[in-house]
Amino acid sequence: MRLLDKLQILADSAKYDVSCSSSGSNRANKKGQLGNAAIAGICHSWSDDGRCISLLKVLFSNCCIYDCKYCVNRISNDIRRASFTPDELCALTIEFYRRNYIEGLFLSSAVIKSPDYTMELMIETLRKLRYEHKFNGYIHIKSIPGADLSLVYQAGLLADRMSVNIELPSIQGLKLLAPQKDHQSIIRPMSYLKEQIQGSSELTIYKKRQMFVPAGQTTQLIVGATKDSDLTILNLTQNLYDRYKLKRVYYSAYVPVNADSNLPAITTSPPLLREHRIYQADWLLRFYGFRAEELLDESHSNFDIRVDPKCDWALRNLDKFPVEINKAPPEMLMRVPGIGYKMAEKIVRARRIAPLSYEDLKRMRVVLKRARYFITCQGKYYGGIDIDTEDLYPVLSEEKPPKGIPGQIFMFGSTG
Amino acid sequence: MIYVTDGTFEGILTAVFEAYRNKEEPEGIMTGDWFQTSLDFNVRTIGTCQEKADRVYKAIIEKMSQEVLETIYKAWLSEYHDIGTAIYRYVRIGLKLGRNVISFIQNPDVRLINDLSMKVSKEAHLFTGILRFNKLKNGIYYARMEPDNNIVMLIADHFAERLSDQPWIIHDAKRNFSALFDTRQVVYTTDDIMIPADYKNDSEFEILWKKYFKAISIESRKNPRLQRSFMPVRYWRNLTEMQR
Ligand code: SF4
Repeated sequence: MRLLDKLQILADSAKYDVSCSSSGSNRANKKGQLGNAAIAGICHSWSDDGRCISLLKVLFSNCCIYDCKYCVNRISNDIRRASFTPDELCALTIEFYRRNYIEGLFLSSAVIKSPDYTMELMIETLRKLRYEHKFNGYIHIKSIPGADLSLVYQAGLLADRMSVNIELPSIQGLKLLAPQKDHQSIIRPMSYLKEQIQGSSELTIYKKRQMFVPAGQTTQLIVGATKDSDLTILNLTQNLYDRYKLKRVYYSAYVPVNADSNLPAITTSPPLLREHRIYQADWLLRFYGFRAEELLDESHSNFDIRVDPKCDWALRNLDKFPVEINKAPPEMLMRVPGIGYKMAEKIVRARRIAPLSYEDLKRMRVVLKRARYFITCQGKYYGGIDIDTEDLYPVLSEEKPPKGIPGQIFMFGSTG
Repeated sequence: MIYVTDGTFEGILTAVFEAYRNKEEPEGIMTGDWFQTSLDFNVRTIGTCQEKADRVYKAIIEKMSQEVLETIYKAWLSEYHDIGTAIYRYVRIGLKLGRNVISFIQNPDVRLINDLSMKVSKEAHLFTGILRFNKLKNGIYYARMEPDNNIVMLIADHFAERLSDQPWIIHDAKRNFSALFDTRQVVYTTDDIMIPADYKNDSEFEILWKKYFKAISIESRKNPRLQRSFMPVRYWRNLTEMQR
């Protein structure tokens, strides 16, 4: 098979994996070698669906022995199959990198023969890249569930980031839709990675040690393949950040590819807005000091599609508002709908020099359309209407869903 | 009083120096080719002087900060038509507020420089991603770009570090300004660069990249509007994957 066809097939099969970020690693260039990693991550292009392309994201192979119901590559599907050789994958990565198409490689795979066999081929590819091609660019490798931990360790010494995809947010979902993967085969490598990453950063204080997954581990959850609520998903997320120290959790709106009685109908369109709301909430957990239980609970177990999670929270906590722009502590400013964490920082720095007026906020591009109901400026309230939930909900809710729904969260960095 | 300079960064800093030395408060610091002599103003032509510029340069670092200097410099790279005046006003506030000048965004003069600088930084960051190299027959990697701002100098170091084992040229075709890298050091030039007309017929890897670009997109999530908001159409001309 021609390389062109392989690339077509193996990129096509990998595209539902959403994590494409290249951030968090500062692997340096060594003189006379190729590449380095940029700590902030770099997008190289945006595909027709508006998602950032940072890494060459492909499967090593889509020849799978498993039969996960939600997956295009499952054994029972009649699709074109292909596998790269390690050398082909190296050539693609190196040549793309030299032309500045990509930040590096994101390698995942279906399970060929066995998890160990698959992992070994992936590791061989990484080893060739790092040692034969002297490649210092970014590498993200997906650990194959069920692979031996010693292989996970070897991969970790070569990669910048690793992920074990959870995919289904609950054990029931996993049993129903991916019966050949057990819960333990996902949790075990995850906690193993956590320990190794922690251990290596503690050890580096004493002596120089080989880097182990310097950009940390991530995972992905599918939204909408099972009946799990947003609450289930967000609690799981909180747990993953707290206990497993994950760098990122990615979410992927389920795109139906197979017909199955346990799955949404094949004609269902992917729940993009729901995915968007969960990303917004995830952002609130990571940068705004929110806890999952503040955003959702049993009586309120799904996000409102018409208001974003921060507005939703504010509407249920009106007793905490309005806050005075010139006095409120930064943690509280960040919680005002329409004020992002970067804006909060700007406000705090500026008000040390001179008090801020409502006009100043306008010029600083605070989203006053939302913020005005939750703040006072030098003691004056500009919201016009009384703040109670009944009156505020209609003015804050979005009539139509936002026009551009990004698939990657770092795109809404500066908005509230 | 209007000061007229050659528009270079050093030229503008020299004018700032002169304003303080002459104890004058010029209404504007303008560029020779932009400024139309007007009867309403007195005009003083300022010759660029490296030494005087250096003194202002150092004063900005010492009395304000390195960050302030970088902000001013990046704002200058935006080629904003009245950048001299804008820098002069910013420095004046900076001499009162010190390093805090950068946070005083209630002030329109501060906001102007901060915004210009931000715009330049953003475009430079974007181009670390969307710059495309074509491998020429002689083995040199050639990248053509047409950025809004004069950012070649901001991104050259990034590529010198990253693509340190390959010779390359980054060519701003709008300004005819290039960075050349021979695997040892970067040099800048405004000389014409002779590039074969068929340089885009690179290799199979261009074709592979275009194929990849198409294959990675999810049809049911198609969103050209979002795509264009991140990657404006004016940049597509030099983007390999956007060529038919
Ligand atoms: S193991 Fe992976 S590739 Fe194979 S069917 Fe399951 S999800 Fe798909």
